[in-house]
Amino acid sequence: MLLSIAVAASASQARADQNGIRTVLLPSPSSPLVTIRLVFQVGAADDEPGKEGIAALTAAMLGEGGTAKRTWSEVLDALYPMAADINFYGDKDAFVFMGTVHHDNLDAFANLLAEQILTPRFSDDDFTRLRQDALDAITKTLRGNDDEDLGKQALGTLLYPNHPYGYPTLGTVAGLSAITLDDVKGFYAHTFTRDRLIVGVSGGYPKGFPDRYAARFANLPVGKPRSPLPPSPAPQGKQLLFVQKSAHGDAISMGHAIGVTRSDDDFYPLAVAASYLGEHRTFNGVLMLNMRQKRGLNYGDYAYVENFIQDGWTTFPLPNISRREQHFEVWLRPVPPKSAGFAIREAIYETDKLIREGIPAAGFEATRAFLLNYVNLWAQDGSRRLGYAIDGLLYGKDVLAELKARLPTMTKDDVDRAVRKHLSTANLSIAVVGDKVKALADALVAGKPTPIVYDTKDTPADVLEEDQTIERYPLDVSASRLKIVSASSLFEK
Amino acid sequence: MTAQAKAFPFPTTEKTLPNGLRVFVVEYDSPGLVAYYSVVRTGSRNEVEPGKSGFAHFFEHMMFRGTQQYPTSKYNAEIKAMGADSNAFTSDDMTVYHILAGTSALPTIVTIEADRFQHLEYAEAEFQKEARAVLGEYNKGASDPLQPMVEALCDHAFQVHTYKHTTIGFLRDIEDMPSQFAYSRQFFDRYYRPDNVILLVVGDVKPGTVLPLVEKTYGAWTAGPSRPSVPVEPPQTHEQRTTVPWKGASLPMLLAGYHIPAFSPTAVDSAALEVLAELVFAERSPLYKRLVLDEQKVEHIDGSAERHVDPNLFTILARIKKDGDVPYVEKVVEDEIARVAAQGTDAKTLSEVVARTRYAFAGHLSTADKVALVGAEFLALTGNLSSIDETFATLAQVSVADIKRVAAQYFTPQNRTVVVLEPEK
Repeated sequence: MLLSIAVAASASQARADQNGIRTVLLPSPSSPLVTIRLVFQVGAADDEPGKEGIAALTAAMLGEGGTAKRTWSEVLDALYPMAADINFYGDKDAFVFMGTVHHDNLDAFANLLAEQILTPRFSDDDFTRLRQDALDAITKTLRGNDDEDLGKQALGTLLYPNHPYGYPTLGTVAGLSAITLDDVKGFYAHTFTRDRLIVGVSGGYPKGFPDRYAARFANLPVGKPRSPLPPSPAPQGKQLLFVQKSAHGDAISMGHAIGVTRSDDDFYPLAVAASYLGEHRTFNGVLMLNMRQKRGLNYGDYAYVENFIQDGWTTFPLPNISRREQHFEVWLRPVPPKSAGFAIREAIYETDKLIREGIPAAGFEATRAFLLNYVNLWAQDGSRRLGYAIDGLLYGKDVLAELKARLPTMTKDDVDRAVRKHLSTANLSIAVVGDKVKALADALVAGKPTPIVYDTKDTPADVLEEDQTIERYPLDVSASRLKIVSASSLFEK
Repeated sequence: MTAQAKAFPFPTTEKTLPNGLRVFVVEYDSPGLVAYYSVVRTGSRNEVEPGKSGFAHFFEHMMFRGTQQYPTSKYNAEIKAMGADSNAFTSDDMTVYHILAGTSALPTIVTIEADRFQHLEYAEAEFQKEARAVLGEYNKGASDPLQPMVEALCDHAFQVHTYKHTTIGFLRDIEDMPSQFAYSRQFFDRYYRPDNVILLVVGDVKPGTVLPLVEKTYGAWTAGPSRPSVPVEPPQTHEQRTTVPWKGASLPMLLAGYHIPAFSPTAVDSAALEVLAELVFAERSPLYKRLVLDEQKVEHIDGSAERHVDPNLFTILARIKKDGDVPYVEKVVEDEIARVAAQGTDAKTLSEVVARTRYAFAGHLSTADKVALVGAEFLALTGNLSSIDETFATLAQVSVADIKRVAAQYFTPQNRTVVVLEPEK
């Protein structure tokens, strides 16, 4: 049975019959473009122990591998004249396969995408290529070409030890090395099932298309209920992980797990608090103003109350990476090593101030006004609107609609209460990627001051005075909670 | 979609103010939203004085440091109140300031933008702090080996033209930026003038609303001193080749650049080089399939003829799986371009490339902001939006003979610069 739910971008979502394939539709008859998003509730959380990376590798075999009828090379030939691409990406709990195409080419594109998902080729050639790409992405690109992402992934290992969220979605070296093509075939058969699928279609599609299209996936088997996530580890105070590698600056990520997602009422005041501290890639957050603008510490400083991946070159979050558990995170872009200790302390100092004193009334009002308008920019085109609508179905709440509905009546007290309940710096995990990090690690554990080093003049007196407090701000981290590792040792298993 | 359809089909109104400021209003179906772009036709290409590389980009940062009427905190508060997505970027040829917000914010946007473009004012202390944010931006990019590779490519491929340095600039110049306060005022005086800036307003707006606001707020802006010319690069006479060592993990990489002419919307060579990039390097090309799919020696390869104001480079980048395969990959790429120079391609493939480029462009114009971004690039390069349709008209005229000619003419050893990334063993 198929159940279609036509939604407006701001409408609340309904859940389909569990025996059916859920579909989400966003018709826009005047648009020449159509987007299809096939979201599977499959992600790294479904990896089998010892086979870490199998979900992402299986997704790659669907998204960048051949079909029963065509090699991947022939798929590329077929896609080329359509000016379309099959894109896929994923995270811990979901993968999406998608594309946007001119309606002239909709049937051909949709057929090809369905072929990819329903009749994967699972060839040895594709398997060898895609597994090697995943291994190179971890051992070469992540470890050596992107310190900011390395810092974020290192933080993930701290937040989620012995938990399927605790390694890159791509997997681990040992896990990927152990996976066979037969493993992938087996994983596909029992996880890429129709009960985990949502078919989303937006744009200028012809009448009846979504139902016809969703029906093509009715032959996918029904899977077993998904395993619940293991419990998050109990907090044990601050912990520090220093990742040693050649680097110009120190890339810093810190955070802790929170028991709140978009499904929960407390998520929304927390989102206001995070935006006040530092909305992604904007200039108005407290962290950005105090760390970059006043002190010239680095390029940017932001805060989040859920996993955030930037959508391409935009400022906005990637949709369809919903998670069953989320975390609070502060991201400091690389700082000069001589001031890294100060930067870590300043981020904690600002977060503590928010928790202790609450959000200032003026800051609350400005942030609320900002978000009421800013959320209108998160879903500017049909593809992103569709992504949000699908996430709304998964969380039971559409974050755009919820923010618009809740912000007008939200109070400063709502934010302060949620912050005090869910945020704490006592149990922060802190990951630092940099060169020669031992001296910094020793200074922080010993509780020694870590002053900022200015090579600029005329820093205002009030800033210099506050610096005195920040450089001595208590960290309370014990030597037993400090680890220094080389980048080359991360994500081995 | 027909081949005759306009590539840029939106109603467009153009007006030039008496002071030389040009304004383009593009009506686009984005209910309640407007994208406001200020295009400065100055980029790192204009950094002609020694020791000043990276200054156009640095100055982009300074434009957020306030005026008397709107100090930084007040400017930021206005942006925050309108819930705008506001930022800027700099490239070789342009500096672009963009605000995306609700249409009701338009009068405020015009007011604050007109104010900072005419009355920017900042103290030296703020200037110095911002210089260190720029160093932070350099450090952010420094963990990506492409940053030193592109630096080396530009440095070796150009001798006198300012394309010799990247947009972010040489590290030594970035480190010296805090001492360049006086020069920053000169830079503003020189380049932030009405005859060097174009406004582009795209979205749920009407020219009758936008133009009076612009005339009122920008009308008193005056022309400035003459601007220095950019040196002309002489033809390259022999191959340039260098290696970039890399501490830590990385795939080995190959980056090659071949000198090509400046972009022109009506020049067949510009269009033919863009078609050649697709023919040789797209995922369905024989080269991609050989190196990435069949032999599996390369993780990623691409080639592009980026549009520039002055003659620049056709660049080729390959991430290679094994160190020992770098010379092999370079040879296979060279042979494939030589094959296209000798044999060309068939008419069907050529027409598919042109059709794909058209469809992809149409598909890209899916939001007011994306339309404005595309428009801003063409305005910076050519000074008008009609150049978009001209570009696609030229593209449709490219023949197999043109492809063979540009492949033979520009892809010669003496015309290229090769940079190889060598990760430590």
